[in-house]
Amino acid sequence: MKKNLSIALGIFLVIIILTVCLLSFIYMPHEPNEMNISQKFLKPGVNSEYILGTDNFGRDILSRIMYGSRNVLLVGIGSVSLGTFIGIILGAIAAINNKLLSAVIMRIMDGLMAFPGILLALMLVTVVGRGIKGSVIAISIFMVPVFSRLVYSMILDTENLLYIKAARSYGSSNLTIFMRHYIPAMLPRLVTQFSSAIGSAVMIETSLSFLGLGIQPPFASWGLMLSESRQFFLNYPYLAVAPGIAIIMTVLGFILIGDGLNDMLIHRRSDDE
Amino acid sequence: MLKYVLNRVKSSLVILLVVSMITFFVLMIIPGNPAQLILGTDATAEAIEDLRIAMGLDRPYYQQYLGWLLDLLKFDLGTSYIYGEAVTSLIIRAIPVTFSIAVFAMLIATITALFFGILSAVKKDSIIDYFSRSIMQLGTAIPSFWIGMVFIVYFGLRLKWFPISGFVPISSSFAGFLKSIALPAIVLAIGETGTLLRIVRSSMLDSLKQDYMDAARIKGLNKWKIYMKYALRGALIAPVTIIGMQFAKLAGGTVVVETIFALPGIGRLVLTAVERRDIVLLQGLVMFITTTVIFITLMVDLLIMTINPRIKSVERGE
Repeated sequence: MKKNLSIALGIFLVIIILTVCLLSFIYMPHEPNEMNISQKFLKPGVNSEYILGTDNFGRDILSRIMYGSRNVLLVGIGSVSLGTFIGIILGAIAAINNKLLSAVIMRIMDGLMAFPGILLALMLVTVVGRGIKGSVIAISIFMVPVFSRLVYSMILDTENLLYIKAARSYGSSNLTIFMRHYIPAMLPRLVTQFSSAIGSAVMIETSLSFLGLGIQPPFASWGLMLSESRQFFLNYPYLAVAPGIAIIMTVLGFILIGDGLNDMLIHRRSDDE
Repeated sequence: MLKYVLNRVKSSLVILLVVSMITFFVLMIIPGNPAQLILGTDATAEAIEDLRIAMGLDRPYYQQYLGWLLDLLKFDLGTSYIYGEAVTSLIIRAIPVTFSIAVFAMLIATITALFFGILSAVKKDSIIDYFSRSIMQLGTAIPSFWIGMVFIVYFGLRLKWFPISGFVPISSSFAGFLKSIALPAIVLAIGETGTLLRIVRSSMLDSLKQDYMDAARIKGLNKWKIYMKYALRGALIAPVTIIGMQFAKLAGGTVVVETIFALPGIGRLVLTAVERRDIVLLQGLVMFITTTVIFITLMVDLLIMTINPRIKSVERGE
């Protein structure tokens, strides 16, 4: 795929999702939790009032998708922002400080990295509890080691660059050097990683809510909508189409932006990866 | 060489120790009293207190941790509240299920990624290249539970090619076994192939640029023979590392897929433990899974060292 094309497609997808989310605060065709049993299992396109059809309780699928985008984006962007923030601080502390503190922090990060897939998120949800708060905390802790390792290794890599040494010789404090010199130097990688991380966070959030451990019913979330559609899926397959496509668009959008940025900002040379 | 091996083993053990601390202390701060959970809501306060003392929950945290760690070393993971059975035996029963789908998923992913990865690299910038990479990119963005649902309905219920739930042990029927793990393995493979394909493609491209490739071409060797014999060998290190990591991740339990296909594997146990708040079971499972992951990663590292002794851990970014 051509690089510019992939980033353009990514931005296009993310803009659609963001627009849907913002629009949900201004206008939704129906109240997302409003049940209307007489209108249940309407297929998409049959009734102009319910463009994407209705579910087993006669709830409007379009409105639920719109409402669900808020939760997905809140958890996705919120948890990655929190994880990035804590990760940068821990990584910087580990890179700048003495050996003991650095070793302690980085071993904890190694330990967190050893939890595969959503295991860490599942364990944390058990402790924090189900729902939006639980998902945000669980996913942000999942993201911390990714960013702290990145920052740690980038600081160690750039430590010996002349301009950093020069700044040090002027007597700039660690904090000043960090804010003035390291952060701008690290920005391309951080932004790239940030975008891809949102893609994974959305995937984890939808998995958690699919498993019934994320946002609780009757509130709408894409993963939960898919999980609820399971028992009717054989006769009403359209129930799973809209939430599935919404998830794929969101995850793909953020991953494509991450990939595109990676190629543009970091590996300028390569059309190879 | 020996020093490198010892160092890797030592750092794996340190990580394992850190993981055990994280697991123990995270699950310690869980709200609710385990004794209360076991006895239920109608138990008297005295009975709960007695059980708490019997379980050693009145001791200071560090003593509880050391006791738990000592038991771990003896492979004693405690008894699950909800199953009333030793956690170790629950895990042993679930291993074949998870292990089988993980092995088959990685087989499918590896074969697909090698095939399309090599083709993409050799035919760089062709239609095949763009097409295979776009499809694989899409594959990583599709949630496994969605694909799983679609597969169950079309291949399981409509076409009736595969059973839609449950696991058939290999000992009772080989064909039945293959059928019962085919769909879950394919679903998992779809998620893993994309990453692997990119690595195969980029390391194959690297390897095609090497001087010895020119030498082979000048000698007039057959094109595909060059690709398969020389280029691929040079290009395999990075993919092997990734395959190892992906396998480790899958072997650690595939919660979502096991849930959709109702397979009695490690992932299902994890979900049950989380849902019912069975802390002992969850602690045991987490330790088992992370140990497996760390062990497989270590084995892959050592394997790569034997394939290519020049590789120092530094070069792999550790």
